[in-house]
This record gives sequence, C-alpha cells and structure tokens, in this order.
Amino acid sequence: MRYRNGMNASVEQTPERLSPWQERVCSTRWAGPERPAARRGCAIHWLRRGRAVACAALLSAAVAAQAPARASFGLTAVEGIKVGHHTLSERPTGCTAILVDGDAVGGVSQRGGAPGTRETDLLNPMNMVDKVNAVVLAGGSAFGLDAATGTVRWLEEHNIGWPAGPSRVPIVPAAILFDLGVGGQPKIRPTADCGYKAAGAATTGPIAEGTVGAGAGATVGKFGGAGRSMKSGLGTASITLPNGLVVAAIVAVNAVGDIIDPATGKIVAGVRNPDGTFADARRMLRTGANSQPPRAGENTTIGLVATNAKLSKSQVTRMALMADDGYARAISPSHTNGDGDTIFSLATGRWNGAADITVVGALAAEAMADAVVRAGTQATGIAGIPAARDLKK
Amino acid sequence: MAIAAGTNATLTAVPGIKVGHHTLSGRPTGCTVVLIEGGATAGVDVRGAAPATRDTDLLNPTKMVEQIFGIALSGGSLFGLSSGDGVLRYLEEKNVGILYGGRHIPIVPGASIFDLGVGDATVRPAADCGYRAAQAATTAPVVEGSVGAGAGATLGKLAGMERAMKSGVGSAAIVMPDGLIVAALVVVNPLGDVIDPATGKIVAGVRTPDGRGFADARLMMRSGAPRASRGDNSTIGVIATNARLTKAQASYLAQLTDDGYARAIWPIHTIVDGDAVFAIATGTRPGNPDLVALGALAADVMATAVIRGATQATGLPNLPAVRDPR
Repeated sequence: MRYRNGMNASVEQTPERLSPWQERVCSTRWAGPERPAARRGCAIHWLRRGRAVACAALLSAAVAAQAPARASFGLTAVEGIKVGHHTLSERPTGCTAILVDGDAVGGVSQRGGAPGTRETDLLNPMNMVDKVNAVVLAGGSAFGLDAATGTVRWLEEHNIGWPAGPSRVPIVPAAILFDLGVGGQPKIRPTADCGYKAAGAATTGPIAEGTVGAGAGATVGKFGGAGRSMKSGLGTASITLPNGLVVAAIVAVNAVGDIIDPATGKIVAGVRNPDGTFADARRMLRTGANSQPPRAGENTTIGLVATNAKLSKSQVTRMALMADDGYARAISPSHTNGDGDTIFSLATGRWNGAADITVVGALAAEAMADAVVRAGTQATGIAGIPAARDLKK
Repeated sequence: MAIAAGTNATLTAVPGIKVGHHTLSGRPTGCTVVLIEGGATAGVDVRGAAPATRDTDLLNPTKMVEQIFGIALSGGSLFGLSSGDGVLRYLEEKNVGILYGGRHIPIVPGASIFDLGVGDATVRPAADCGYRAAQAATTAPVVEGSVGAGAGATLGKLAGMERAMKSGVGSAAIVMPDGLIVAALVVVNPLGDVIDPATGKIVAGVRTPDGRGFADARLMMRSGAPRASRGDNSTIGVIATNARLTKAQASYLAQLTDDGYARAIWPIHTIVDGDAVFAIATGTRPGNPDLVALGALAADVMATAVIRGATQATGLPNLPAVRDPR
C-alpha cells in the first residue's frame, strides 16, 4: 500500500490510483522537518515511514512468536489499547477507532459549546455501566456518529461487550468534528462502514498521525475565515514514568483557535497573514481585529486520554477533566461555543502501582497538549489549506 | 490591548462593581468582597475537586434566581464561608436584593480557599470580616497582593510548604475599542506553579531545595514526583463584563475563564484544588456580544490576573514572594 499510514490504517483506494487529495498528501509526506522528539524529555525520535518499514521487516522475524509489537510512544504505549484509522477516498474525512483489549473504566469531559456525541451519558459516574470497549472519533459532523455503529458491529462479531443476558453489548462512546466545509463534497461523510473498517485496522503498533482518520479533514485558525485557516490533523503522545505509569493521548484538532506550543507560547499553526506569517488569534481578539467571526459549530477538537493505572469511574472522569487543561494550553482559544470540544478517558488498570490522580491528571493534560502540537506539526496540507510543514519550506 | 497609564486595569473597571478587602490581624487571612448593588446576571464553574462554596446551586441556569448582588471570597477554608453572612447583613441594611415578600434578599454566592496551614489555624474570617470588607468596598482600582482573601494564599506546594511561595490577590482588565470590558479578580492559592502562557516560563512556583531557583512542577511530575496530592489549596476568582448575557451565557463565560487558570497555573483542577470561577455580567453595554471573542478575552484576562496574584504578593517568613530577593 502506497498510502503513508498503512501500518494501522485502511484507506479506500486501489494500489495504482490515488484520489487527487491523497496524491497531494503522499507527494508531500516527507516534505517537512520532524518535530524534535526530545522536547520535554520524550525518549523516542519518530522514525520516518521508510525506516519504520525497514525496521518492522527486520524485527518481524524476531518477534514473530511473541505478542504483537506495542508502540513505545503514543496512545498504543498503553498496554491493551489498539488504534485504527479509516480515511475516505472521496473527500478528506474519516474515523479513528480506539479499541480496548478486554475493557477499561471510561469517563468523559465535554466542555465545548457545540458538541456531537453518543453514549456520553452512560459515562456519568452515577450511572451503571463502568466499562468501555471502544471509543470512536469521526469527521462528518453529526452524520459521522454513524461510524460508531460500525465499530459496535465489529465488536459484536468478535463477541466483545457488556454481558447482558444472552448477548454482549459493545459500549462505544463517540464524538464527531465538523469538517463538511473541507474538500467540497459535504455529502461525503464517515458511515458505519468507516467505523467497521477502522476497528478492523486497529493494532497495538505505532499510530499514523497527521491528515488521516478523524483528522483527515481537520483545520485550525479560523478567525480570519476559511481562506486563512491551516490544515491540522490527528496527533498522539505519551509519557512513561520510571515507576511504570503510562499516560497517553490522541486527538483530532479542528479548533476555531490557533495551536500553541505551551512550552514556549509560540504558534504552531493558526490564522495566516497574506504573506504566510501567523496573524496570532490572541492578538486579533485583544485588538478587536477578528472582523470575520468564525461561524459557530464548524469546529471541534475531539480526543482521548488513556492510562494503565487502576482508577475508579469518578477518578477517570477527573482525568478527562484535567486533560481538558491540555486543550486550554495548546489551543487558543479553546472550548468556545463554536467548538464541541470533548475528551474521553480510559483506565485499563493493568499497572498495579499506587496511582495518584493528581499525577495521572496532570500528565494527561501534558500528553494531550503534546498530542495537540503534533496534530499541527504532523499534518499534511490539502488543496488551498497548507499545513505547518508546508509553511516551513 | 494595553490599558493607558492612570486608568483602572482591575475588576472595578467594569462600571457598577465595587471591591473591598478586610485582612485579619491575628494571622494572614481575610476576605475580599465584590459588590454589584445594581444586580448582575451570574454563573459559576467549579472545576477543582475540593471546593468550599455557598449558593452556587442557584447559579445553575435551570434555577429561578436571575440576579446576584455580591460575591464573598475568603480564606479560612469552609469556616471562612461565614464571611458571606456579613455581606448579606450589609446589603440587607442598604435594602439591596431581590424584593421577595416585602423583604430584600441579597443573593451573595461565595467560595473560600484553604489557608489554615499559614499561621494559627484557629483564626478564620467570620461574618464580621465580610461585613467590614463590604463596608470598605469602592470603585477604586483593586488593591492587589497579600491582602483580603489572598492574605494567606500560597502556591508551588508540590514539594510541601517548605518549598512553596507566597501569592495573593491579582486583578486585570481589558477594555476593547468598541466599549466591551472584561475584567478578572483572583485569589491564587494553587498546588501548582504560576506560568506565563506567553513564554511558558515560571513566574512563581516550587523552589529548588536550596531555595534559589524554580524546581518546575512540570519537570517534577514528568520525572515521577513521589506524592503530588497535598492539601492547602484552591484558586477562586471572578470574571466580570459589562456585556448583556443570559444566565446560561454567564455560566459559559465562567467555563471559558477556567482556561485562563489552565494556561497560567500548572497543574490546576487537581483532586486537592477547590478551583472556582464566578462570572458576572452587568449588562450596561447594549447589544449581543460575540461569545467566542468574549470567552477568549475572559480566559486571557484571567491568566493575566493570576500572574499578578503572584507578582504583587509580599512574602512571609519562610514563604518568599516573587518580588523578594532570592
């Protein structure tokens, strides 16, 4: 498969023919400099795809008899979590399925003013179900919620779900983002088929980032109208402590605001000036220069944080709430009434150490902020909407 | 935009709002009262996990009461909530409140920080403190630093009080060319460090063991801090605007303001922080505001107020402030 995200992504295409927007992605896939992975002590430098394939080929024989390879960075660094994307070929949109091997305690923090979600009420700590089998993130606005139906079907076929009488009911909360304005064909939306294929593509390996899955149609920096926005996408990050605690995040960033690196306060991707420099949404807002207010409801950042710690349903909800501080730090502004920002949380409980929820929550915010920044740096531009790596050329 | 010298760049930049402090003499603690005698639409967002609050339920947009007349912030943990009683008494004497059955009911929500670890814990703000702070309230620029509810406030407690720093009350305001005003007041008392979001640099926080530098809570946590959940925290504040908002929009404004906490405090909203933000809209500026811009400005001005809560503080023995030589 020529598509850059073959390792854990499926895409509707024939090997010899790509759609125009995919050709653009593939032709520029190694165009930009990689983000220095050493920022803030991250141990893993991201391999480029070519090297990753070579490594995978060499390693595959050695580990063939062992458990499937698990990523050492990103959401799949949490043992028991699988991630798969499916990206549509007709238009940049798609979905991302996060599957739990077995189940995990789940929570949610829903703070944006224009959300599109399903199965979030059951995550309330007062309600009965305390286990989640998968979470689906999708493009396509409210229509994209259909993707979760496909993941539910895939899980049922694999006999995974909440035991209820003779059947197993797969618990699959989901959230969508608005990307119908990107690519010119708003009737093309992720459907149940997308969620089914993303679930089937899910692996424990390194996660494809950038213009893929739920982030395929994501954009940021919309305070000057769509013509000055930038392409963003999907990012992932993780933090592993010496004691074995792992906290990780995945996110599709489609904010009205700019992406900011909180370590420096600098803009990663956002509203552009005509000369290609950043206009800075913070300054635009403070000076009243945002003459073209973004249309409400055409944004939304959706993500998930996961840990191997053992948490109660209340604690995992606090983890999601604190992870939202990662949005606040790396997206400016965030949580507006034009954003449906939502974060799910999962605790697999496979680590037996004593988890301090303040540590887990603080690291969840850090991992989420890192993932948001990667969603900016790893994205690939599409026609008329450049990504950060395009500006650096 | 920058505010011209000589103008009021604090919460009282919003017409109709008065602020007063009362600081106890027995130990560093006290209360800070915001008065809106003409009434204001209000909302609240309580995102910290260890809150001490009163009359926050009535701020839910589905509840009846549409106007509040004051906000009582105090030290003294939940004991300090009684300072609100004094504010009620003051406003009742002035016939301020919702007219109900021939009587004025002054609605005064409140919140308190935990500062019992600073000095004699039996000394706490009571109703008298709230009454005096209300008496002292004026439209003058808000006095900042180690005063009122912030007299006993501290920050950077990830390694315990031995390496913490003194903080206090901060306030800031943004006045837009079109007349929109957004202003914040905050009592900064978090577990975490205060960060300048414009640079990512620490303004005040956990000190290194020798007391000369910052340990950086972010690095401590990423490298595996042994125990993070410690008591003695809560950041409580007020965001105010002259915009006309519904009660639901005021709640939204409070939620957006919490992003200012998130940007300027690390970590925040933890299990040992009782963080709360009250939002008040006086509605003197006509027209429907751009809610996206209003929310963004609210977070921005709150982050600035948090930084001032650190930079304007005065140190105590073993609790240095930013301005103290190190």
